[in-house]
Amino acid sequence: MNWLLQPLEYAFMVHGLLASIIVGILCAVMGTYVVLRGMAFLGDAMAHAILPGVAIAFLLHGNLLVGAIIAAVIIALSIGFFSKGGVVKEDTAIGILFAAALSLGVALISSIQTYAVDLSHILFGNVLGVSVSDLWLTVGLGLIVLVTVVLLYKQFLVISFDPILAATLRLPAELLRNLMLVLLALTVVVSLQTVGVGLAAAMLVTPAATAYLLTRRLAPMMLVSAAIGAVSSLVGLYLSYYLNIVSGSAIVLTATGIFLLVFLFHPNRGVLWKRK
Amino acid sequence: MRLLWRGIAGGIFAACLLLAGCQPAPSRPAGMPTVLAAETFLGDIAQNVAGDRLKVETLLPVTVDPHEFQPKPQDVVKLAQCQVLIVNGLGYESWLQKTIEGIGGQRLEIVATAGLTPNPDPSGAHPEGDPHMWMDPLNTIHYVEQIRNGLSQADPAGAAAYAANAAAYIAKLQALDQWIRNRVAEVPVEKRLLVTNHDALAYFGRAYQFTIVGAVIPSITTDASPSAQQLAALIDTIRKTGAPVVFLDVGENQKLADQIAAETGVKVVADLYVESISGPGGPAPTYIDMIEHDVLVIVGALK
Amino acid sequence: MDTYPESPARLDVDNISVGYNGTSVLQNITFQIPHGARVAVVGPNGAGKSTLFKTLVGLLPLREGKIFIHGLSLGHHMDCVAYVPQREEVDWRFPVTVQDVVMMGRFGHQNWLQRPGRADREVVEKSLRQMGMEERTDRSISDLSGGQQQRVFLARALAQEPHIFLMDEPFTGVDATTQEATLALLDHLRRQHVTVLISTHDLNLAASRFDSVLLLNRRVIAFAEPKLVFTPENLSRAFGSQMLKLPDGMVLVDECCPPEDEHAHDEAHK
Repeated sequence: MNWLLQPLEYAFMVHGLLASIIVGILCAVMGTYVVLRGMAFLGDAMAHAILPGVAIAFLLHGNLLVGAIIAAVIIALSIGFFSKGGVVKEDTAIGILFAAALSLGVALISSIQTYAVDLSHILFGNVLGVSVSDLWLTVGLGLIVLVTVVLLYKQFLVISFDPILAATLRLPAELLRNLMLVLLALTVVVSLQTVGVGLAAAMLVTPAATAYLLTRRLAPMMLVSAAIGAVSSLVGLYLSYYLNIVSGSAIVLTATGIFLLVFLFHPNRGVLWKRK
Repeated sequence: MRLLWRGIAGGIFAACLLLAGCQPAPSRPAGMPTVLAAETFLGDIAQNVAGDRLKVETLLPVTVDPHEFQPKPQDVVKLAQCQVLIVNGLGYESWLQKTIEGIGGQRLEIVATAGLTPNPDPSGAHPEGDPHMWMDPLNTIHYVEQIRNGLSQADPAGAAAYAANAAAYIAKLQALDQWIRNRVAEVPVEKRLLVTNHDALAYFGRAYQFTIVGAVIPSITTDASPSAQQLAALIDTIRKTGAPVVFLDVGENQKLADQIAAETGVKVVADLYVESISGPGGPAPTYIDMIEHDVLVIVGALK
Repeated sequence: MDTYPESPARLDVDNISVGYNGTSVLQNITFQIPHGARVAVVGPNGAGKSTLFKTLVGLLPLREGKIFIHGLSLGHHMDCVAYVPQREEVDWRFPVTVQDVVMMGRFGHQNWLQRPGRADREVVEKSLRQMGMEERTDRSISDLSGGQQQRVFLARALAQEPHIFLMDEPFTGVDATTQEATLALLDHLRRQHVTVLISTHDLNLAASRFDSVLLLNRRVIAFAEPKLVFTPENLSRAFGSQMLKLPDGMVLVDECCPPEDEHAHDEAHK
């Protein structure tokens, strides 16, 4: 039992655990939409595209996190705008904007003579350096996203499953889709603190992909995904403590391990699983 | 079924709140304070002052660039548990700030450069000044004094020992300084031209009359990249001044330096230890070894 | 299904034109359909049948003209019109069961934050029973055959409790069970006084089972009872060279069914 409690003697571990569990749940829930709507690329792109937002916030001596949120939201809405009506396909729009944003960010940063290490660390995340105020921010933003997802569950379900029915029911499909992108942007920014840019995309995809193999309906898929996200974070962090490896990577590797287990050993995996 | 899920969610949430609420302090061994140095050369210097009384641990592993360091849980545990933390200061450990904030707690922080007047940083990356002060052994004497004072404060019973150790080490540093002057005299002043990977040798240059011709990455942090214009300017400067060598830290990316070498015909020497000492089997296992090695490399290349 | 429309579910189409990017698919279409009527929409491929239905649901914008339902312009009466396209463009791998899909039809009757209640579940159950799918409420839709899937979407449309029911080629390419279920549905809707428009290639069916026939080929060729619509002159104007008039007066019409221009059009302009 002691091995369970020992890491908890340190405040930084407790904070890290809470933050990564919340982020794990958040990513997993939004990840459900990411996986079902084929937006995995989008999550990754958004994570990288916040770079110019952070650079500009730094130049203006503003709050880096706010800059990241604004950049992510702008990218999300731009993608929605460019791929509206199907003139440019969604993944093409993502590819273009992602590269542009990243390049803009790098150009801005290198032109700043006063380059600061803090900028790169917002990209890499530091789950072991989560302060109490960080935690409140994570909880606050996380609650906003989760509550919205719960309240708009029906609407998001219809626009994801059957766009024609959405039009028939006169749902404001465009608005809802943009709202979903904004929620995704918030989720990505919140995740940056714990697992950093490269790995936020993984936490958006892997737990949800695992849940897809285990469930047949949307609501259970979200709940199972959230559970897997939380467990991956918990176990991953403990593993990183005892094996002394980088925490963010440990979390992602745990999530991937769980996915592999399910993928290999689930009796009826795949599209046409038959449970009955 | 719904109720079950809600129950689980509620339970997890409640558990989290409980965890957040209770933060028992880590158990502290009574007796000698635990001392942690951020960088390896600091660790070595501090160990010389501590002598046999204390063991100084180091946070960074050898030859790891501090800017790229990602702390692992045990590293943070070390930080959380130490009672004395020795840092260079002047913003050199900015990567450590967030982690330290997250840990909270109390510890004695010894800032090695406190009280010294730094050069301004030409690139502006470190607003408090260029932190690489340890490259001039006479500055390091000040480091030793700071460490001696700090250790004496943490462990008053050892004050006399620390004073004696410090004095002995300072004598070695002064001898080192003299030795460097002798070595450096072998290179005529007009040939003392330094082109490095980034501006880390300013203090060394000022102390021993070397001209810093320029740096491949015109900033004192290894993460920045030069623009095309900056690279061209450096090549021009090298041609104009006739600097014969580009010096790189061990483990740094050589590509840009090789490119410059190809264009200008200079030699690339990738053997300096600046941000860290080497491992025990390497050419620079202590701070003094590190400086000696670097001086020999530089003088050897420029003679 | 006891909710009767209080006022006439009159569908009033007034000189509408619909097109994409300069080409026009439908031109000057005008007709009125009274409450509870059963209309078959026929015409060659590319005539604009699917386009008409999509316009009636509000999926496509009008270039010209107006559409009125119950005398109010389109968009006023949310969920008054149910639409079952020929091929559902849904994500078949989405994790939903039959029950989930049909329940989506009830969303129009709930406000945004409302959760489905007992009344909704009863409607869903009745709709499924009408379509013979009540045994499979918990199946994933990806587990069903094509015909079963069609019946689920018909059940969903039914669950919407619409005043106007549109079906785009419901008899094309479906199994016998589904065809019978669809015919039974038509009778059920008749009893409920729901206005029904279906498009079909089956001219015999159109002639035998429907009150009126709307013969289209980008314009309205004829709109009346079947025997008045199916004349050689009308058919000739509608089907053009697809039609052959034999010396003894018999008329042959070659109807090829695979989706062509019209549906390809729709694909490109989602």
